[in-house]
Amino acid sequence: MSLKRYILRRLVEMAIIFWIIQTVLFFLFHLAPGDPLSRMVDPGMTHEEEMALIEQLGLHEPLGTQYLYFLGNFFRGRFGISFHYGQPVARIIAQRLPNTILLFTTAVILSALAGTWLGKLISWRKENRVDKLVTTGALVCHTLFLPWIAMLLLWFGAFKLGWFPVNGMISPELWVLPRTTILEKAVDITWHMVLPMATLFLIHFGSYLLIMRSSMLDTLTEDYIFTARAKGLPEKIIRDRHAAPNARLPVVTSVGLSLAFSINGGALTETVFSWPGIGRELVFAVSNNDYPLALGCFLLIAVVVLTANLVVDILYGYLDPRIRY
Amino acid sequence: MKDNITSSTRNLPYWSQALLENWGRLRRNPTGRLGLILLLAFALMAAGSFIPPLVSPIYNPMHGVDPVISHTSGPSLKHWLGTDFIGRDIFSQLLAGARVAFMVGITAAFMSVVLGVAVGILAGYAGGWIDTILMRTADMIMVMPTLLVVLMAAALFGQLSIWTIVAMIALFRWPGVSRVIRAQTLSLKQRPFIEAARIAGASHVRIMTRHLLPNVLPLALLYMTFRVTSAIIIEAALAFLGFGDPTTVSWGMMLQWVWKTGHMFQAPYWLLPPGICISLLTLSFYMLARAMDEILDPRLRRQGES
Repeated sequence: MSLKRYILRRLVEMAIIFWIIQTVLFFLFHLAPGDPLSRMVDPGMTHEEEMALIEQLGLHEPLGTQYLYFLGNFFRGRFGISFHYGQPVARIIAQRLPNTILLFTTAVILSALAGTWLGKLISWRKENRVDKLVTTGALVCHTLFLPWIAMLLLWFGAFKLGWFPVNGMISPELWVLPRTTILEKAVDITWHMVLPMATLFLIHFGSYLLIMRSSMLDTLTEDYIFTARAKGLPEKIIRDRHAAPNARLPVVTSVGLSLAFSINGGALTETVFSWPGIGRELVFAVSNNDYPLALGCFLLIAVVVLTANLVVDILYGYLDPRIRY
Repeated sequence: MKDNITSSTRNLPYWSQALLENWGRLRRNPTGRLGLILLLAFALMAAGSFIPPLVSPIYNPMHGVDPVISHTSGPSLKHWLGTDFIGRDIFSQLLAGARVAFMVGITAAFMSVVLGVAVGILAGYAGGWIDTILMRTADMIMVMPTLLVVLMAAALFGQLSIWTIVAMIALFRWPGVSRVIRAQTLSLKQRPFIEAARIAGASHVRIMTRHLLPNVLPLALLYMTFRVTSAIIIEAALAFLGFGDPTTVSWGMMLQWVWKTGHMFQAPYWLLPPGICISLLTLSFYMLARAMDEILDPRLRRQGES
């Protein structure tokens, strides 16, 4: 019951934040220099198309009504028509969003798992040479400049070794064949995903490892670890069953706090590897002054960030039963 | 040496004495020392960026084109790190990039920390609805991906100048600072010296600026160091995506040129330097910040010394 109420409260908060973001964007769209109408209507459209779009988005109404239309249109999935693609923005976003979520969540989950696992092992060898080496490595990984490491991986993996594809998410020539099975398609996507995944993994892995390590060292000073030792439990049990579950909590918090940072990284990775995701689409839309598409992508990313934050908070409560909402 | 510092600074107020003492600790900390040395090297690069254009106009990082070479070329005696796609000297670009990175990083970090400290102290000291409003705003801004926000601004307002970018980074990077400063203020507020000041008739503004501010200053300095890192990264990423200030040569811009002109696979001598510089500079600020963290948090200090 209390969890339900907590989620409900958070959902209301999310809605308010999202409303503020929408409002600010709406007014910026109208205050920015230039004609606001020209930002939503492609100059290349025929007159009938233009009128239909203006009618649909309520662009002929006074400003107040337009604002209400704008809020309502989001929930009806009407973002206008992309200048570049000539298709409804909602359709483009619907195609791109799953790709982003696939790449992004896999990378974050994998790096969090690997980071906590290695951080756990390393904390047990505090102050020896392996520890120093791994912590320094993690520190370096954490500060690498993402687009650069992405290009290096691309240069090495796709050009020098030639093992991985240079860009994209699928090999189109494989997908047009009628006899290609689902398994082959899955393998194709995974193969394309290796390099972008490796990039995101390298960037995130280091920070998770460092947080897990310092959190483990904190936990080791707790009384219940002392008790476990006194009981004569094997070190492995103390580490995995007594210390690690508690030490994992700060990592979860940090996943939540660094989410905005990770989304930036996701957009950069998608751009370098031409991964057809929503972040790349936003960058592309901004470069081409495709305002409807940029607006739609930005709002959708805001929804994704807010939702992911909620998921992290709920997960936190699940991992730490002491938390009462 | 240490006594020397203490005796010569006896007349200074308490907080600056504490800062000097921490500076001494920082220099003795191995991580901190390495960070400082690296930073010094980059500062030298930034200072040296004025020299190549003076030697010959062909070394101007932006407009200097070698009359003989008008394409990419590898390292040579004339161009230590080679030339880019229109024959500009990569080494002088790298030096100019160091200057831009410092400028962007430090000003953006300073502005965001000033904002964060002001909001943090105000929220913590005032409490009540002021606190609620300020902290809710902070929460909201904290979940926004700064890079994408600046991108959106670029979409709406066209080409952004380097100072607009700096201001935007500062505007979106203060919430983390203000949370920490607020927490610190809340605990300081309960101490007897604040109450004593209040009884002595100090105004709210005086308590905030004269009694609270000096006490949160070391923490603010720590966060400023962390913020420098993120500001440099955001500016570089923005420039990489092609939305940087086209009149400045930054490392991110150099990477964009490599990428956009398709020299990624052919010219490693051009791809490597800017990336190494961005990564190393952020690493050195990060190491400095970690060392400061150890010094300011006595719990960590014991750990570090054991």
